[in-house]
Amino acid sequence: MQTYVKQTSPYIRKDTSVKRMMVDVLIALIPLVIFAVYRFQFDAVWRLLLAVVAMVLAECLTIMIRHKPHPRVEGFGARFMDRFSKLSWLNVITPSISAIIFVMMIPSKLPLYVVFVSAGLGLFLAKMVFGGLGANVFNPAAVAFIIALISFASGFSYTGIDSIAGATPLTAIGESLNNIPNLLKSYSLFDLFMGDIPGGMGEVSALLILLGGAYLFIRKAADYRITLSMLLVFSLLMVVAAVAVKGDVLNIVLYQLLTGGLLFGAIYMVTDPVTAPITKPGRWLYGLILGVLVVLIRLFGSHVEGMAFAILISNMFVPLIDYYKWSNPKYTWKMWLGYGLVLVLMCVVVFIGLGGL
Amino acid sequence: MIEKTRFIPDGKSERKLDPIVEYKEPKYLYFPTVDLKCPTGETCVIDGQYVKVGELIGTRHGAFFDQPIHSTVSGKVLGIEKKLHGSGDVVDCLIIENDFKYELHPDCEPRTDEEIDELTKEDFIKIIEDSGLAGLGGSGFPTHVKFKTDNPIKYIVANGVECEPYIISDYQIMMSKPERIIQGLVYSMKAMDAPHGLIAVKKKYPELKKSFEDALANMDCQMDIKVVQTNNHYPAGWEIDTIKSATGIKVPVGKLTSEYGVLVANVTTLYGIYRAVKRRMPITERFFSVCGEGIKEPKSFNVRIGTPVRDLIEKCGGYVDDKPKVLVCGGPMMGTNLQSDDFIVSKTTTSLIVFNEQEWIEEACIHCASCVYSCPVDIKPVQIMDAYKVRDKEALEKLDVNRCIECGLCSYTCPSNIHLTEIMRQAKRFLKR
Repeated sequence: MQTYVKQTSPYIRKDTSVKRMMVDVLIALIPLVIFAVYRFQFDAVWRLLLAVVAMVLAECLTIMIRHKPHPRVEGFGARFMDRFSKLSWLNVITPSISAIIFVMMIPSKLPLYVVFVSAGLGLFLAKMVFGGLGANVFNPAAVAFIIALISFASGFSYTGIDSIAGATPLTAIGESLNNIPNLLKSYSLFDLFMGDIPGGMGEVSALLILLGGAYLFIRKAADYRITLSMLLVFSLLMVVAAVAVKGDVLNIVLYQLLTGGLLFGAIYMVTDPVTAPITKPGRWLYGLILGVLVVLIRLFGSHVEGMAFAILISNMFVPLIDYYKWSNPKYTWKMWLGYGLVLVLMCVVVFIGLGGL
Repeated sequence: MIEKTRFIPDGKSERKLDPIVEYKEPKYLYFPTVDLKCPTGETCVIDGQYVKVGELIGTRHGAFFDQPIHSTVSGKVLGIEKKLHGSGDVVDCLIIENDFKYELHPDCEPRTDEEIDELTKEDFIKIIEDSGLAGLGGSGFPTHVKFKTDNPIKYIVANGVECEPYIISDYQIMMSKPERIIQGLVYSMKAMDAPHGLIAVKKKYPELKKSFEDALANMDCQMDIKVVQTNNHYPAGWEIDTIKSATGIKVPVGKLTSEYGVLVANVTTLYGIYRAVKRRMPITERFFSVCGEGIKEPKSFNVRIGTPVRDLIEKCGGYVDDKPKVLVCGGPMMGTNLQSDDFIVSKTTTSLIVFNEQEWIEEACIHCASCVYSCPVDIKPVQIMDAYKVRDKEALEKLDVNRCIECGLCSYTCPSNIHLTEIMRQAKRFLKR
């Protein structure tokens, strides 16, 4: 007897999946992982493994605890298997991505217990508390990084391949942007581009980050609009800053772009679709907020790197951008006007703030 | 993948070369007395009465129009039986036993060209109304209602885009009867006093353009008729999209196209207009394809309206196996799901697609916004889903869920396999309550 199934249109689906998208992000991270392992050998390997284990454990345990097996399922083993069946590969892949991103940002000598605690806690607080995949407001990797940065500040002394112990280049420019040409004597722009500088384990090599980014954007696993908008706004504001202090514009802007994990954050972190707005104009605005915040934190804040903080603060703006009463999937002149006005205003703020008048 | 989905594999290149199987001798033909747009209906014949081809056998009553039903064979009326209709409902169907003589009803006298020249707009609309013509691309919207407008019409667009995958019904009629379609277009242009006629076909199929251009050259037609090529994306055959690519006029969603001086008619509908005006005949035949992975030998048929689809499935060698099947009447993006193959070819059915059952496991939404990017009417399916989950009427209204044309792109493109289109439908129903 031929049977017929009830379904509703459409009856075909595109050959795509969340898993595939997430695996693409993993693939894009591979060059950075290889770079980190090459540079820091077992320091990087252990920290990677620990962070992955901590984050996957935090995710899987939360999901298993959250699920209540039916009372009819009896015995510890059966109940455990029932909880276990709630897990899928996504529960391994997505925390692994967060873990790798987190490890790429931390210095190679950060104590292992710090890595474990902040990774697990970061994922739990930023993601699982909100309901798991797709429901998180904050970027888990950024939260984990901030936990490590604030709670274990003493661990953040970077070691480079040339064993120059000390601060990342950015901490040295708190005083004045004019110092940059002097800094460039010890680290050339080419070193900055290749990643031959002290800094987080993976976030220093601009070349490899751009390579991974190209893969992400070609595969369309990430939206280029956020990255583009953010980098444009950032560069423009840095030009204004450089002009304000009457410095070497090109060197200052390139230096700012290549240091402090800016590119890494712009390509791997802000493009996380879960914590980004859902419309094209919204994504441009999100990039604007990110770019402005990074510049403000770098120039006027005490945390000179600023990327992770900028991401978390921008994450809070996302529900506001997406609010159904005004978010519009189409570009409007109003949106561009607002975008331009904010940009001009911020240029003025930066200019005056740095004493350009 | 976070992108605007515009193209879907359309499976037409394999199907379009299929030879047409003529199947016009079913023993019994069935005529639904009601359909989706006409909830009530009546017959005007009695059991045992002898009817001829083109004879009026009943009327369907819709909300603001009536639709006559015509017989497509000559033979004896046997009675009424419940059958499935292409819309998915079980309806009363009038049965006519075929006597294989195909005697024409005396009313079906061809009009001479002089008679046609004298027709006014009112006559023209009356003819279409009497022929029971409705949007034959699948919408079933009554054609005379569309033409009954006081707005000045500048363009009449023949829509031959047929953007749904698998369906080749319009394709076949454009390849085999381009002159008649152009004639139908000319009649409607004359009646509506429209200076320009446009025939929209897909860029992907240059043979259609050639077919029409050859026909135009042969006919030595005095009217300004052009063949325009539209993009290959889905939904390029959606009225508003077709108008935009054919004329450049942007019609907002929810407005009547005639307010902007444009009328759109499917090519099969124009063929129907030709039949009604020139030959005083309703549509009696149509192209119908049976295809999909669940059928043994997919075939395209030219059948009489009223033919039971079971006969056609038999001709195709039946189903490939006993596994559960999904029957789709219409295209795979917007077609109706049928619960049985016991249904009949009506004017508006274009195809039967048989899929094997496939289950999509829904995952969590990751807000990738592919649905927002892909939506042709610029609504935000993901936010509508969130609002519908909490039954937020205010938000649903503000999010304009009623603009949704149910094209199916949001479900199609979703990487998490969330059935957004169904959620849009439920949200619409929820708003009506």
